[in-house]
Amino acid sequence: MKRCIFLLFLMLLLGSLNLHATYAEDLQSLLDNLGDGEVLHLENKTYEGNIVITKPMEIVGSEDTVIRGDGLGNVISIEAPGVKLKNLTVTNSSMTRNDAEEYAAIKIHSDGNIINNVTITDSFHGIYLSQAHENVIENCHIIGLGDGTIGGQGNGLHIYFSNNNLFKNNFVDGARDGMYFEYSNDSEAFGNYLTNNRYGLHYMYSHDNTFKENIFTSNKGGAAVMESFRNVLENNQFIYNYGHKSFGILLLMANDTVIENNTLFFNQRGLYIDSSTNNLIQNNHIVQNHIGIELWASSNEQVFTLNKIEENIIPVFTLGGQGRNYWNKDGQGNFWGSDFPVIDLDQNKIGDVPVIYQSSLTELIGDQELTYLFLKSPAIKIYDKVNQLFNEPKIMFEDSSPIVMDKWINTYWVWLMLAGIFVLFIIVKGRFLLCTMYGRNGRKM
Amino acid sequence: MHYVWKEWKENVKGKGLWISFGIIVLVSLFLLFKSSSLSFEQGIYILQINLFDMMIYLIPIFCLFLGAFSLFQEKEQKTLIMLLTRRDTFTGFLLKKTIAVQTLLIIPIVAWFLIYLLPIKFLFEIDFISYGALIVSFICLTLVFTQLGMMIGSVSRSIMQIVGFAVAIWFYFFFLHDFILLSFLSDVSYDNVKFFSIVYFLNPISAARIFLESALGTYNFDHMSKLLQTFMWLKPGIFLLINVCFYMIVSFAIGVVFHRKEGKE
Repeated sequence: MKRCIFLLFLMLLLGSLNLHATYAEDLQSLLDNLGDGEVLHLENKTYEGNIVITKPMEIVGSEDTVIRGDGLGNVISIEAPGVKLKNLTVTNSSMTRNDAEEYAAIKIHSDGNIINNVTITDSFHGIYLSQAHENVIENCHIIGLGDGTIGGQGNGLHIYFSNNNLFKNNFVDGARDGMYFEYSNDSEAFGNYLTNNRYGLHYMYSHDNTFKENIFTSNKGGAAVMESFRNVLENNQFIYNYGHKSFGILLLMANDTVIENNTLFFNQRGLYIDSSTNNLIQNNHIVQNHIGIELWASSNEQVFTLNKIEENIIPVFTLGGQGRNYWNKDGQGNFWGSDFPVIDLDQNKIGDVPVIYQSSLTELIGDQELTYLFLKSPAIKIYDKVNQLFNEPKIMFEDSSPIVMDKWINTYWVWLMLAGIFVLFIIVKGRFLLCTMYGRNGRKM
Repeated sequence: MHYVWKEWKENVKGKGLWISFGIIVLVSLFLLFKSSSLSFEQGIYILQINLFDMMIYLIPIFCLFLGAFSLFQEKEQKTLIMLLTRRDTFTGFLLKKTIAVQTLLIIPIVAWFLIYLLPIKFLFEIDFISYGALIVSFICLTLVFTQLGMMIGSVSRSIMQIVGFAVAIWFYFFFLHDFILLSFLSDVSYDNVKFFSIVYFLNPISAARIFLESALGTYNFDHMSKLLQTFMWLKPGIFLLINVCFYMIVSFAIGVVFHRKEGKE
């Protein structure tokens, strides 16, 4: 009798184990049985991966549809062109770094696919495009493993040798790089939100890409453009990339980049330019960064025009000597905020005298990394001024046509109103006690 | 408790406390209005950093003056002599006075910044841990500078001396300390960075700033250079704790040892 019960238990156990395999086979066989271009609607349940899509089709999930990988490879591999994935959660790819292949939740090897509204968790790379062109990745939500494991995981969106792709309204949190482009050209990215990554955006050897209206926040670095040419960064926000080595935008050996209408706010460095040539930095708002623009002497032919560079602790910092850079274009320089008062007697909105910023901190910042600890100290500006008396200060920039802006009314009226209320309060309080006072023997005072 | 109640009654009659807290309230409200356009997720961190940067101008100087005048008032009104002719020693008196003044200053500051959370809640996503770190850093600054203020009150003979000492201490911590460190910065190497670190963290403003910014995640201690790693040889919270204990004990001891009566001897 005991043997029978044991055998029955064993059969049930094997049956249940086999069930998982059946789910996986089910999904794969469902896909295999579909005809070209057919639509597969998945139920509100967890399907076991991994799956390989070898023909054009559309897979549409429901609210709680999950495709779960076995942790040994890519969860979904798309080999065929024209595949559409919609409303899915994909999870559990292999995390190994010992294989020749880097795994991802969704790996695309083909052209013209659309991935829409897919959530990805617990995967090495989120979506990996390998020699895949003209794909659309939109509304995807990729959650990395977070801060402690940034080195041990892949990128949110990894684009490798892939051209003409569109990335729209995606969210990447806690990956290595939010979006990583390598040898990938002519792609466009709009409205993506990249946070808590190493770099929000990382271009390597990638040219002619456009990056518009994206938000980069709380990354180690906002956008790093390296060895890449003719890229356009426009209308993006780089906010609170604030670690001691952080930056809003890094240009490293990047040429002919157009950086226009971006907001660089509250970063350790707003713009960090090294070994780069012929970039146009125009109409950006570079505000409240530790260093507005850090420019290495190896960088030449940068043009800065019509930027609002204000309230930075150090507006511009030039290291390693002066390169050939231009602080105005067609007679229009930059607005430098209240730290650099500008006279405009002829009222043509261009300052009558150049704005020149000198500093003696160059060598200190260049040689001693601990200097960054003092950037917020009120002492640093005084130290700089005193140091200038004893050492020859170096010119950081000279803008011969600084912009003059109309004073605009902001929330100062609120401040004035509150101050008025406060003064009134103190005056009135002088005549009346704010609470009942008791003196000796409990008598009211 | 008697001392706390006495302190409250004395301060509530005067304008110093009200003006100080009024300014703190106004400045923090102003910063809130100014930050209202920031993003929902990150705005809280930016507001906290701005708030700290602004409060380091206010809290130290207010605490120095309020602490000093509170003690000096006991001398001026001869209540100190009355208290000491009873059973109290000066050390006992200073201890009770310290508890009273610290309580009186810390409770309203903490209360205000807890009330301040309400409007913040409508504007930003609140991270309670980092906000707690902000309040802790304010408490630490209050503790240190109030105690230093009480030391000034204890060793001073006149109001002019108090003003002089308070401004000098404030100037030292606000400018001079960092200025001196900046002057030696180019000579800092891996061999002496630990000593440099000790001196750096002796400034309560720097210790509180690093503590706060590390709690906000702005200083990441994962991928530091060897120099920076040696510089941060303790956790920021421990640096701050040591700093607070050091200044409270030292200024209390100086207040007791160098205590002087009012007027010329």
